[in-house]
Amino acid sequence: MASALIILIAAPLVSGLLSLAVRTRPVMERLQMGHAAVLWAAMAAVVAGVAAGDDVSFGSLLHADALSAFMDLMLAFVGGTALVYAVGYMGEKLSRGPVEFPRYRRFFVYFDLFLFAMVFAVNLDNIALMWIAVEGSTISAALSVGFDRTKAALEAGWKYIILNFVGITLALFGTVLVYYASEHVLGVSMEALKWSVLARAAGSLNPVVLKMAFVFVMIGYGTKAGVAPMHTWLPDAHAEAPTPISAVLSGLMLNLGLYAVLRLKTIVDPAVGPEFAGSIMVGLGLLSMTIAATFLLIQRDYKRLFAYSSIEHVGIVLVGFGVGGAAGVFGGLFHMINHALAKSTAFYAAGRVLLRYGHKNIDGVTGLLRQMPLVGGAMLLAALALAGMPPFGLFISEILIATGAYDKRPWVAYAFLLLLVVAFAALVYQVFRMVLGEPKETGVPMTPGGGRFTDFALAANLVAMGYIGIHMPGFLRALFIPMTRVFHVLGEIP
Amino acid sequence: MVIHPDLGSQLVNLCSALLLLTCFAIIAQRRLSACVDLFALQSVFLAVTAALVAFLTGAHHIYIAAALTVVIKVIILPRILKAVIERLNVKRELVLNINIPSSLLICGALVILAFYITQPIISLGFLLTQDSLAIALSIVLIGFFIMIARKKAVTQVIGFLVIENGLFLGATAAAYGMPLIVELGVFFDILVAGLIIGVYTHRLQDTFDSVDTSKLTGLKE
Repeated sequence: MASALIILIAAPLVSGLLSLAVRTRPVMERLQMGHAAVLWAAMAAVVAGVAAGDDVSFGSLLHADALSAFMDLMLAFVGGTALVYAVGYMGEKLSRGPVEFPRYRRFFVYFDLFLFAMVFAVNLDNIALMWIAVEGSTISAALSVGFDRTKAALEAGWKYIILNFVGITLALFGTVLVYYASEHVLGVSMEALKWSVLARAAGSLNPVVLKMAFVFVMIGYGTKAGVAPMHTWLPDAHAEAPTPISAVLSGLMLNLGLYAVLRLKTIVDPAVGPEFAGSIMVGLGLLSMTIAATFLLIQRDYKRLFAYSSIEHVGIVLVGFGVGGAAGVFGGLFHMINHALAKSTAFYAAGRVLLRYGHKNIDGVTGLLRQMPLVGGAMLLAALALAGMPPFGLFISEILIATGAYDKRPWVAYAFLLLLVVAFAALVYQVFRMVLGEPKETGVPMTPGGGRFTDFALAANLVAMGYIGIHMPGFLRALFIPMTRVFHVLGEIP
Repeated sequence: MVIHPDLGSQLVNLCSALLLLTCFAIIAQRRLSACVDLFALQSVFLAVTAALVAFLTGAHHIYIAAALTVVIKVIILPRILKAVIERLNVKRELVLNINIPSSLLICGALVILAFYITQPIISLGFLLTQDSLAIALSIVLIGFFIMIARKKAVTQVIGFLVIENGLFLGATAAAYGMPLIVELGVFFDILVAGLIIGVYTHRLQDTFDSVDTSKLTGLKE
């Protein structure tokens, strides 16, 4: 199993390095498709191994427990479909002319390195090395966000760089503070930075230092996760980045930020009690939902619309983990993976619309269902899922979080449900305007060379989204069971 | 040679205080290239502090970190920044959101805040570097302030690098440095981040004809 873990981490790195040498489009397409296939296969092996009950580890460096395997599942699945989508999307840009071949190649180098840094980060058994990998993902994404070199893209890229670099620096300060607390108990060594060792020693660490560390890490990695009020880079970056990057930023990078916060929470809770971190998370979560719901209503740009919806969903996840308990924690986890699937689907569809019409104006888009049935249908289904309609998984997770909140703090549940209703109405209204009615413009249809890849990515995501929404698969349940230990929750999976 | 522990800790305190002092000098400085020089000077003090801690504690891996500080933060990054300033021709006065006297007052308040925040946890630390943790947090906060209060892209980069310096001092003070592999990774990341910021400032100049970030207002809502 350790070999599968190594392949999973090495595949994006190797593919990124090989991309440097590629000279033609068909070779790049085959390379990236192969990359996606390897990612899926290796991920399946790792998830199967961990689901069978054994953590997968390699040396003292890499260790995949249930939470890591859960992140691997998400990163590799959505990362894979995003690669397939990117092959179609960038291929289309290449054949139409705005992107010449050297930049086409560079796009895949950045993209592969971005995936590599994220997959590496979630499997590292070391809080400081994880920071380095997360910083690596921030840097590689910085190159991708400003890829288009328009004024707007540069402005978005600059905001992204400044906010995220500062955020990640604060997270490093938090990491140093964790080490400050742990070296007193565990001694000055690498051991004092290992997640698995920290988890065992958590109860004996100094609570005041850990409280400070959590605040720094929450603000730091929270910036990366797009938590309000540090969210201001997010709508710009999601709107201006090339669409495959938007999908990965929203579906995966935000979850990576959440992952880092959650890992630390599992260390902080035993030392200071769950109330401290929980209240901060509930507060920031509700704030994120409020800001997002307001801005969803007034959006005129469909990529920004989905970006604000991401802030809302990050807020929902924070409320879930903040209220805690079996319902909150599993609601939060289930929400993360469903959001990754639904939001990347929404961005894949949005990218197709952008390729067709060449603008991002909601008012200028109508009748998607008639003009592009698959794209329009996917956008409609993704929007319904994101709005929290059954039978999709986000409905189940939102209900779980609401019941969890009601048991602990009823007012949180009321505020949560109210904000959900507002966001539901805003998102559904905006997307209905785009998918229904008569098409206004003809636009430029996709060439078959780009169309089949993007169609495949859309279909794969839709199938996965429907599959885990209707019936929670066994492997996912098997991953959730050991996480009761990771998150210190008592009780059954609801 | 053996140094009396009290003397050692006072030397470390002196060096940390000099780091803090250069922060104030950066705040009070109007010329951009002088700000870069002051950042380089601050990095020299940082390297000296680290080397001092390495000498007094016998933790040899901190010497490597000190050497890397000299190479990356005293030599390479200031050169990159100078080249950017040269090319962009932005030697003129800084654009300030907040004037210098009020900036200095605010930073004084930030230092007091940092000492207040770290008060409860400072007693946990090693005797030698106890007070440096508060100074480190002060430098981080002042770095933030520089990023907010100054408009030019280059000054925002300097703010970011000052934050990094504060952090590094914090890591040295709180934990006698992180394990070597971690330090190396952090340095690599900072170097790459500095390069990328340099690339972006070039592109900003080419596209906007300016590195005044208050002109980046196209994206709203």
